[in-house]
Amino acid sequence: MRQAQYGLVLLVILILPPVANLLESIMITHMHMQMPLLVLAGFLIAKFFQIKYPQFFEKWNANGLPGLLLFIIITGYWTIPRTMDETLTMASVEAFKFFSLPFLAGVPLRDSWPKLSSFWKNGIIIFFAILYLGMGWLYIWSPEQLCNNYLLIEQITLGWGFLTTAVCMVIYLGYSYFIDFTQYETES
Amino acid sequence: MESIAGNTVKTKAFKEKANKILGISPEDARLSKSYLTVAFIALLLGGFLGLLQGLNRAGMLELPTWLNYYQVLTAHGLLLVVVLSAFFTIGYFYAGLSHTLGGLLPKVRKMAWIGFWMKMFGFVLAVIPILMNEASVMYTFYPPMAASPIFYIGLVFIVLGIWMCSFGAFINVASWRKANPGQHIPILSFFATGVFVLLFFGSLPVAIEVFMIIPWAFGWVETINVMVARTLFWAFGHTLVNIWYMTAISAWYVIVPKIIDGHRWSDLLTRIVVIALVIMNITGGFHHQIVDPGISESVKYMHVFMSLAIGFPSLMTAYAMFAVFERTARKKGGKGLIGWFKKMPWGDVRFLAPFIAMAAFIPAGAGGIVQSTNQLNQVVHNTMWVVGHFHLTLGMTVVMTFFGISYWLVPYLSKRVLTPQINKLGIVQTIVWTLGMVMMSFAMHWAGLLGSPRRTSYTTYNDNATALGWDPYLFFLAIGGTLLMIGVLMQVYAVFNMMFFAPKGVTEFPIADEEEGAAPTPKWTERWGLWIVLMLALVAMAYVIPLVGFLVDAPPGSPPFKTW
Repeated sequence: MRQAQYGLVLLVILILPPVANLLESIMITHMHMQMPLLVLAGFLIAKFFQIKYPQFFEKWNANGLPGLLLFIIITGYWTIPRTMDETLTMASVEAFKFFSLPFLAGVPLRDSWPKLSSFWKNGIIIFFAILYLGMGWLYIWSPEQLCNNYLLIEQITLGWGFLTTAVCMVIYLGYSYFIDFTQYETES
Repeated sequence: MESIAGNTVKTKAFKEKANKILGISPEDARLSKSYLTVAFIALLLGGFLGLLQGLNRAGMLELPTWLNYYQVLTAHGLLLVVVLSAFFTIGYFYAGLSHTLGGLLPKVRKMAWIGFWMKMFGFVLAVIPILMNEASVMYTFYPPMAASPIFYIGLVFIVLGIWMCSFGAFINVASWRKANPGQHIPILSFFATGVFVLLFFGSLPVAIEVFMIIPWAFGWVETINVMVARTLFWAFGHTLVNIWYMTAISAWYVIVPKIIDGHRWSDLLTRIVVIALVIMNITGGFHHQIVDPGISESVKYMHVFMSLAIGFPSLMTAYAMFAVFERTARKKGGKGLIGWFKKMPWGDVRFLAPFIAMAAFIPAGAGGIVQSTNQLNQVVHNTMWVVGHFHLTLGMTVVMTFFGISYWLVPYLSKRVLTPQINKLGIVQTIVWTLGMVMMSFAMHWAGLLGSPRRTSYTTYNDNATALGWDPYLFFLAIGGTLLMIGVLMQVYAVFNMMFFAPKGVTEFPIADEEEGAAPTPKWTERWGLWIVLMLALVAMAYVIPLVGFLVDAPPGSPPFKTW
């Protein structure tokens, strides 16, 4: 339960205007730091909901796939350049960001992850690696400024951020594919 | 379950017995002894050059024309920052790997020897141009100052040698894990794994930098991107600092509790400290660039958080250490709020030296926090303060721990014993070194606050009143430096005495056990691949911001300069 409290504290800190302004002032920290931290806050808070409403999760997220789908829709939505622009110009979209990423992405991810088979777990990492490669390509080689609020150089930086994150995911996939953990971790 | 536990205890007991009777194999001992020999010769030479500098800065010694201040400074830095620290770290951890993993694999030993000679070859290549005054570029060697290309080629070989040793360590650890499934890597080897991971990944950026510099130094390309080179250098430079630090704390966590007859603090906490340091370290390089152009204020501000985050495991370490001390001393009958302090083995150099090293990290760490804070950094940037800071961290916290280690590691390797005389010499050496370093680093900090610049040969700036005001402190610095030279001579004497002349006998490799009934450490701590991926992701996130800007909106590059 304590981690749910930590999650709430993290969420409140991220919403504080000076913190939000700082993180949103740089394009890549907006998308690759603030947003994942919001998901992390929800991931921690999820414990509270899981204890409080176990039937709800049992009924709606029995095999983990509905939660996973919700997570993908929400995080996919927030990779679209225009959504970032809107959070900076419309307070309602900003509020939706602070609600949706923790509660509609972080919470379902926490509930779904242990229920998923390794096929789905690896599948989602592969999905995001491909998505990030695509987004990286878009942000780096787009001839135009995609967001009104950020300069072209920030956009290119974010593109490289996407590409390098995708490379890290590929390295992780390679590591878990080639290394047989049972050789090291199961006691003989 | 019980039989497994029983078997483990039996195997452990057998191993301990075997280690006690046989000790380290002669081949493994020769390897570590060679590394330590080079380390302490580097200490002797580097210490002597340090004395020359100290006396010069105090205006007491004019260097001959054929050996200028900047040459001495470059060699001093290279000998102590690169050679002493790297050779000691590798020698110590390879002895640790050999002891805790049941000997080095023959293939690994060969790799470590190849690494040894590559580093020696590279070092000779780097020293020649320094002696010829063709490479007085300081150990940080960033452009636009350009040395002779031979200097950089030497550095390439040093890096390749380090990679050889890193991969050797990985192979040995992986092979042990395969043979011992389900078991945690022994704690000292866990530290070694962390250190070699950082040595490898930390030296990648500097390797890229050197490959950028070489064609530029040869004149094949006309200009170089100075900001990219600096950024790559500090990604390595700061990691190197923490490699020494992690080597030192490995002895605090694992060795010191055994020496004071106590137990290790929580195994899980220890492993988390190692993992946290490995993941967060490399990006710490940015706090060395806090007044550099081209990085926006908000990015620098966020990196202050990143740097302070690295301080967090250090606070965990401080807590753990004093908890071990208090618990052990109270068991021995220590009483009172601080009265238990009297029960510590103050007369044992193997404890006294690392203890003072730890205590020195309190002001050293505080000074580090000052420097990584934006506004405060602007007061002390590039002044003698910074030199004082890293003489406290490296010269005291790290090197005194290394000295403390040498009093059991060298006799363990040479199958000799630490005699009471050498122990006494060690105690005196520790006191001399402490006095010298306290004086010198205090003087450096203070002179820095008054504006005395670092990396500047003696000058009074045409007898400017401000510059003359630094003189008393610089004089104090020279006294400290002289004491340190005496300390160096005593230490080198002690090391070679223990290596070749002390009476034969058995010296134990002191590794403390966990408390009885300690909770088992979770298995996830062993997922090194995951920690490395997290580290890479963090590095990518941190470096993508300035690097893309430096490359895409690159200013005109710089031609090479020879400023000396």
